[in-house]
Amino acid sequence: MSLLAVSNLTKRYRRGGKSIAAVDDVSFHIDPGETLALAGPSGSGKSTIARLVLRLVEPDAGRIEFEGDDFLALRAAALRARRARLQMVFQDPLAAFNPRATVARVLDDPLRIHGIASRSERPRRIAALLERVGLAAELASRAIHEISGGQRQRVAIARAVATKPTLIVLDEAVSALDVSVRGQILELLLDLQRQERIAYLFISHDLGVVRAVAHRVILLDAGQIAESGDARAVIDAPRSAIGKALVAAAPRLHGTRR
Amino acid sequence: MTALTSIRDLTVTYRRDGTAVAALKNIGLDVVTGERLAVIGESGSGKSTLALAIAGLLPAASRIDGRIEWPGLGRAPLGGRDIGFVFQDPSASLDPVMPIGKQIAEVARTHLGLTWPQAYAKAKNLLERVRLPDPDSALLAFPHQLSGGQKQRVAIAAAIAAGPKLLIADEATSALDTIVQAEIVALIRRLVAEDGMTLLFISHDIALAAELAERIAVFRHGQLVELGATARIVDAPAQPYTRALLDAHIGLDAEPLLNRSGLAT
Amino acid sequence: MSRFRRFLRTPEAVAGAIILAALIAMALSASLLFPGDPQAIAGPALLPPFQDWSLPLGTDRLGRDVLAELFHGARTSLAVGLAAAAAALAVGSVVGTLAGFAGGFIDEVLMRITDAFQTVPSFLLALAFVSVVGPSLGIVVIAIALGTWTGPARVARAEVLSIRERDYVASARAIGMHPLAIAFREVLPNALPPVLAMSSVIVAAAILTEAALSFLGLGDPNRVTWGGMIAEGRTVLRTAPFLSIVPGIALVLTVLGVYLAGEGIVETTAVRRGLQ
Repeated sequence: MSLLAVSNLTKRYRRGGKSIAAVDDVSFHIDPGETLALAGPSGSGKSTIARLVLRLVEPDAGRIEFEGDDFLALRAAALRARRARLQMVFQDPLAAFNPRATVARVLDDPLRIHGIASRSERPRRIAALLERVGLAAELASRAIHEISGGQRQRVAIARAVATKPTLIVLDEAVSALDVSVRGQILELLLDLQRQERIAYLFISHDLGVVRAVAHRVILLDAGQIAESGDARAVIDAPRSAIGKALVAAAPRLHGTRR
Repeated sequence: MTALTSIRDLTVTYRRDGTAVAALKNIGLDVVTGERLAVIGESGSGKSTLALAIAGLLPAASRIDGRIEWPGLGRAPLGGRDIGFVFQDPSASLDPVMPIGKQIAEVARTHLGLTWPQAYAKAKNLLERVRLPDPDSALLAFPHQLSGGQKQRVAIAAAIAAGPKLLIADEATSALDTIVQAEIVALIRRLVAEDGMTLLFISHDIALAAELAERIAVFRHGQLVELGATARIVDAPAQPYTRALLDAHIGLDAEPLLNRSGLAT
Repeated sequence: MSRFRRFLRTPEAVAGAIILAALIAMALSASLLFPGDPQAIAGPALLPPFQDWSLPLGTDRLGRDVLAELFHGARTSLAVGLAAAAAALAVGSVVGTLAGFAGGFIDEVLMRITDAFQTVPSFLLALAFVSVVGPSLGIVVIAIALGTWTGPARVARAEVLSIRERDYVASARAIGMHPLAIAFREVLPNALPPVLAMSSVIVAAAILTEAALSFLGLGDPNRVTWGGMIAEGRTVLRTAPFLSIVPGIALVLTVLGVYLAGEGIVETTAVRRGLQ
């Protein structure tokens, strides 16, 4: 059984009196421990799908099944409880944290909300989480704006794994990082996946990264699925027009283009 | 081969909360007339500070030591006239309440001494050159009516309106998606060739730099690590940091990080 | 404490702080320096200032010590001004946050209520409220707050509308935080700076409104107020103008002090945020 099964998902926005489909009848599934990438140009609907899957935005039509349950049927408290199993890491870790927060508070929130650890136990759990993502436990007392971008994204990952989720949505989670840091963060994500069998919905515009970390890929264009399949097979030989355009546009070190 | 601008012993220091932070340390660098030079580095490398220093756009509170000379110009450059600057975020460099045609025409009028009708004709011509669809109605459009890529085309048109010798693109494609980025890079390459401009291309992406530039300068922590012809930098980097940057690039031919064994797909 | 040092570097902030400190010292020392009832008769009636050094500012129509009244009046002015402003800011921020964060029907209802309060001139509202319920210190505080909470509410709502679209609010929802916890732990603290920037104006206005109510005889009758003193002095304005002038100057200085100190705080925090 799939961990996440999305069928006929549709989300429309009104712009200037016209109704535009940001996501148009999209269906896919993710198995436990698998990485599914969503790739496409800006406006292709990949970030909207991320927010729909997390129910940060409500769809106009379609069905989302998560861990065998109708995810869209969950209300208030039941939805908040289930969110422990389905987490997210954002593109810009600075924007994704309350500007007044400290590292400890950011990690304390999920532990407290989901009753994972008692108040006295939490500092130890926070230290363990920080170590799990390769950070020193002493970092806990620092303010979010004091630490580096790479450290921040590690804290964001620690916050996401604090509730032992089965699926994490990574919305351009490595796009804003320096290249030297990006490799380390990708290694960390893959390591967590191997050890805890977490599935990833990996949103990215960078086909090189997608090809390196994803099992399968879905290429989106204007809210619709243009092409999908094994990540390496699709990117090495794209069949759709958008796939060909994305591959052609990717920068190459040994400039062979044109 | 003459240097358009020659940078000697350049050190730039910012004051932040009472302490001095050196953003650039003893930089020596020549930008050769007519070349496409890429300056690459990670955050905090000083690459944007270098761009701002050359364009004379550093904040007043910063301290500048060393010299920036202009042998290729034979005089001090006029901002906007001799140097065109394209920023990362085109929305920030365009006036949101002025039609884009007027914004471009104003540059041409100020620096070239044209009349308004001449300046508007020039603006229309520029919008055609940056391949904006329907330049006639685009002249009257406001920035918010355009997409991110189109706005960057307008920003480029404004930057080259006065016919600058040097075009500086500071992370000009970083906020755009891959396809639009490739289009903008192709546009910059074409405009630079057509007008015989010198290009200073600031980027964090070594592959993008390699595609566009003839020479690459690698910066780290405010220092120039390595400078050389693109092929030499990419194929035989002399410095371990350059090697590390090249290794960190995940291209379409990279070895997958994912160990596929044991996962049913 | 670099923020404190920066505060001290702006001259108007220092002037404001000194005035306020003097005022607070007056209010705190009132019952020590003038332990008796300030409304008790202390000497001959209508004694001019600087005649008798045991009554340095003279006496009023009934022979009450003007200086003692001034000190005790400082208490009322400060207490009412601060309490009313605090109440207005608290109610305004909460209403604005709820309206902005909840959106839809709740927003509509709360903002129409805000409109209703805003369309009535705030002084008339205070006047009507005190006339109906009766004058006492608590009622005067509520009456003033009734007319001033709408400004903070609007500012808070506008700020919340922009903050609620930020990633960290989405992130708080994604970890399953309760909507009320998001509104008051994540959103409200970040919406506060522009609301607090209004506090100096609101405190100053509240002090003036209190004085005006007292002037019209709608202050707490058991307390000395500057407004009441001015009203008292008005009847003998030609013969003993100092009875109106002394509390009048105190009032002007207080409002000026509050305003300058408030501006100083806003400026120093703005500089701080600008640096980051």
